[in-house]
Amino acid sequence: MRVIIFAWEFPPRIIGQLAYFVNRLAAALVKKNVDVYVVTYNDSWTGFHQGADGIKAIRISDKVQPQINVLTRMLSLNQEAERVAADVYYSSKHEVDLVDVHDWHFVPAAVTLKKALRIPFVFSVDSIEPHRSRNSGAPLSSSIGSMESLGTSEAARVVVKSEWMKQELKRYYNTLDTVIDVVSPDAELWINSILAVYQKLGAPAN
Amino acid sequence: MLSWEFPPRTVGGIASHLFNLSRELVKLGVEVHIVTCDFPGAPESEVVNGAHVLRIDSYKTPSPDFATWDSLMNVNMQKETAALISGFSGQFDVIHAHDWLVANAAVGLKHVFRIPLVATIHSTEVGRRNGLHTDYERMIHQTENWLAHESWQIVCCSQYMSGQVRWAFGLSEDRVAVIPNGVDVSVYQKEFDRAEFRKKFASSEEKIVLFVGRLVYEKGVQTLVSAVPKILSRVNAKFVVVGDGGMMDSLKRQVANMRLAHKVMFTGFLDEDSLRKLYRIADACVVPSLYEPFGITALEAMAAKTPLVASNTGGLSEIIEHDRTGTKVFSGNADSVAWGVTRVLLDPGYANWIKLNAYQKVLQVYDWAKIAKQTKEFYEQVLKVYDAGSWKPT
Repeated sequence: MRVIIFAWEFPPRIIGQLAYFVNRLAAALVKKNVDVYVVTYNDSWTGFHQGADGIKAIRISDKVQPQINVLTRMLSLNQEAERVAADVYYSSKHEVDLVDVHDWHFVPAAVTLKKALRIPFVFSVDSIEPHRSRNSGAPLSSSIGSMESLGTSEAARVVVKSEWMKQELKRYYNTLDTVIDVVSPDAELWINSILAVYQKLGAPAN
Repeated sequence: MLSWEFPPRTVGGIASHLFNLSRELVKLGVEVHIVTCDFPGAPESEVVNGAHVLRIDSYKTPSPDFATWDSLMNVNMQKETAALISGFSGQFDVIHAHDWLVANAAVGLKHVFRIPLVATIHSTEVGRRNGLHTDYERMIHQTENWLAHESWQIVCCSQYMSGQVRWAFGLSEDRVAVIPNGVDVSVYQKEFDRAEFRKKFASSEEKIVLFVGRLVYEKGVQTLVSAVPKILSRVNAKFVVVGDGGMMDSLKRQVANMRLAHKVMFTGFLDEDSLRKLYRIADACVVPSLYEPFGITALEAMAAKTPLVASNTGGLSEIIEHDRTGTKVFSGNADSVAWGVTRVLLDPGYANWIKLNAYQKVLQVYDWAKIAKQTKEFYEQVLKVYDAGSWKPT
């Protein structure tokens, strides 16, 4: 099984909890013999690097600077994510089973890879804009929310960490109950549950 | 082709450029698909002169500003174009982007499908703003830079723009091809009652001096307005200003302060048919631009056989040969504009000479069929390099 993970933070770039979680997820997948590529952002350390834990990380940086807000920055950066993901796809003889995109930042890239190369994607939701923003109705926040909405509507599966978040996605984005999987990272066999979600997309069992 | 405008959505000159270029490319056997923004009343997909047009949802949710809206529009454009290309199993030869407004979608599609990307850079932010003064402008400039460097080859419509693009983005000469803009002369040949139409704008004693363009500083309309009293001291004329823009109110105040409101008519935006007729009844067309990457208005005047007075700047200086196909004046100089307009209005023999020469030049150089042929050859050159390389997917 070959999986590309999109996450805007990954060690050593740590903004919040997501970096730790994605690192833990990728390492656990490697132990399950999944070929894992993490595509992430880093403004000073770019390119391919495979650590002792077996995770293959590809770090990309801004091609357009300055930017006027986080949204224009991320939407421009998405093209870089597409470029390196396409490189993985073509160099591995088109054998990429799925993309797992964490939070809204690289949703457009995941959608494009799905439409262009027919690579399905999982949208893993750590947090959502209506919770993060004090004024989620403001144009910038509602635009970010529209990227989350795009992710939930285009993803083959949506993964959340709690039943509460599942209800929140249904409330804010009308996400269908049937596409959401709740996988608590605290559960003992959580990685098996993640692999079970991946297999729903047609990924082979390792 | 990716463009944020295509008729009926017309914002600047790109819509008309694509409309004409695509029609002639189709005649040469090129299968053209245009992906563009939606427009009220226009179908989501249609075939226009043989070209397949797909109009995408251009993102209607409120956005903080124009550039952020553009980024969001590109998400939809890329998504829909990816589905379109995938529907043809990736069998597209070239992606052709028009200006920075579609850069995000174009660059992503290039890499995902590994199809060569070319871009026409119609104008630059550093040229439009006469420098880069804010992060907003710098971001657009850097987006243009990124598009230019991601493109296999770039098209500019004039030598002037080629020079500016190479200077602004640090490109070598061999990366930029110059293929001019064109004009369709046939649309200026329809018969109509000239005398009747003329009455809407001027009395029979008045000569008509025409300006067409956005009412923004770089178009130099303020220079023409400043020249009005000097011209009127020599010849009775009516000045017809066609177009809209941020300077409308200040220009009207300028005219009112000179007590010349009865001599300057601001028409606002005019429909195509009226504009074409207006070109044909005008005694002179003035293009007083301070910055002009190409100068499509000048070409339209030449195609309509309207004597032309234009700034010796940018692309205009290439289109016009002084005293042969038009009268060149100093950019931003009201005295010079007044001299040029007066000369054309007071010397019918000279006006006739330059307008007939200009018309012949349009037929020889700025014919869309010839431009499409050059564009097709340009695509073929790019494909030759692409086919010889190893980047192509197997």
